[in-house]
Amino acid sequence: MSATLERRVRQYRSRMLIRAFDYRQRHHAGGVWFRLRRLLAGTSQAHVISENDAAQLRQEGFRLEPVGREVDPPKMILVAPAQRVAALASAKEIPVCLGGELLSATCLVLVPFDAT
Amino acid sequence: MTFRDRLFATVAAARAVIEEPGVLIVGSEVPNFLEPGSASTLVVSHDLDIGVPIERHAAVKSRLAALHDFQPSADEPSVWLPLGGDLLEINFVGIDAAQDPAEAYVLADAQLPLLVFGALSLVTPGAELVIAGTRLRLPRPAGLLLEKLVTDRTGDKGERDLLVALGLLMLMSAAERDELAETYRHLRPELRHVVRSNLTLLSLLGPRPGMPDPGPRRAEVNALLHRLEPSDQS
Repeated sequence: MSATLERRVRQYRSRMLIRAFDYRQRHHAGGVWFRLRRLLAGTSQAHVISENDAAQLRQEGFRLEPVGREVDPPKMILVAPAQRVAALASAKEIPVCLGGELLSATCLVLVPFDAT
Repeated sequence: MTFRDRLFATVAAARAVIEEPGVLIVGSEVPNFLEPGSASTLVVSHDLDIGVPIERHAAVKSRLAALHDFQPSADEPSVWLPLGGDLLEINFVGIDAAQDPAEAYVLADAQLPLLVFGALSLVTPGAELVIAGTRLRLPRPAGLLLEKLVTDRTGDKGERDLLVALGLLMLMSAAERDELAETYRHLRPELRHVVRSNLTLLSLLGPRPGMPDPGPRRAEVNALLHRLEPSDQS
């Protein structure tokens, strides 16, 4: 009678083993998705921008997020305040989620939530 | 018949086991009961999870004969299906306070076998409510929220469970958030990582019709992540 429950326990334990592996990989390639999600979770707006605008932001000293270089193909992901992003001619806002628009973008600028 | 009506009718029909001392309502309906007036607008799934502390298993079993409006499922023996269409199904789960949060086992029993999820060891008794003339005990929100967040969340079921976590987060007081942070601090590093990972997943979920929308709450989720992260600097 408990065969179904036993099967669910086996499945649960398998998932826990995979999870433990993922945890050990968190600082390596296996942790890229977590780092990208964490960055996005702290983001109130995401915008696709041109390479020229991305280069301009870098020149101005805005932060380049390392996780962008860990994904394939690599992306230039910058973080800047909303006021600066609003002045970028190429900025096109996209949903903050792991959707096609974000994943296919080459250059992104993210507006963080107010840290206060 | 509204969802609230069905939920309340289910509580009344399952009164014999719900009022058994030690039994806790866990799972997706807790935010519905915690809403003002138990408004039950945070509909994520259509079932009622009944947590049975393993030391109360025999006592709960002795009350099953009084569940006249339900019958055990042939496929899932810990699930009892309603005999009428207006009630929700009820799911019995085991709670073992001594269990590791990442483990699970089956409490084998011919009449009421239970899946005992270790994450439920984080759940402790909280408020008592009277719903449809039935006294029911809810868990403390902080423990239940952590239970939702330390459990592996994948696929459709996983996303719905994260929306339950969102519902709890929306209703938590400042003191309950303090309790959450304190309990989190005592989890081992792997579990803390899973909590934060699930919070990032929650933050990026899209809206679903008729369910709580994470979008307007993303800043709160981020604030919670910021609050929890100092425990994890390594």
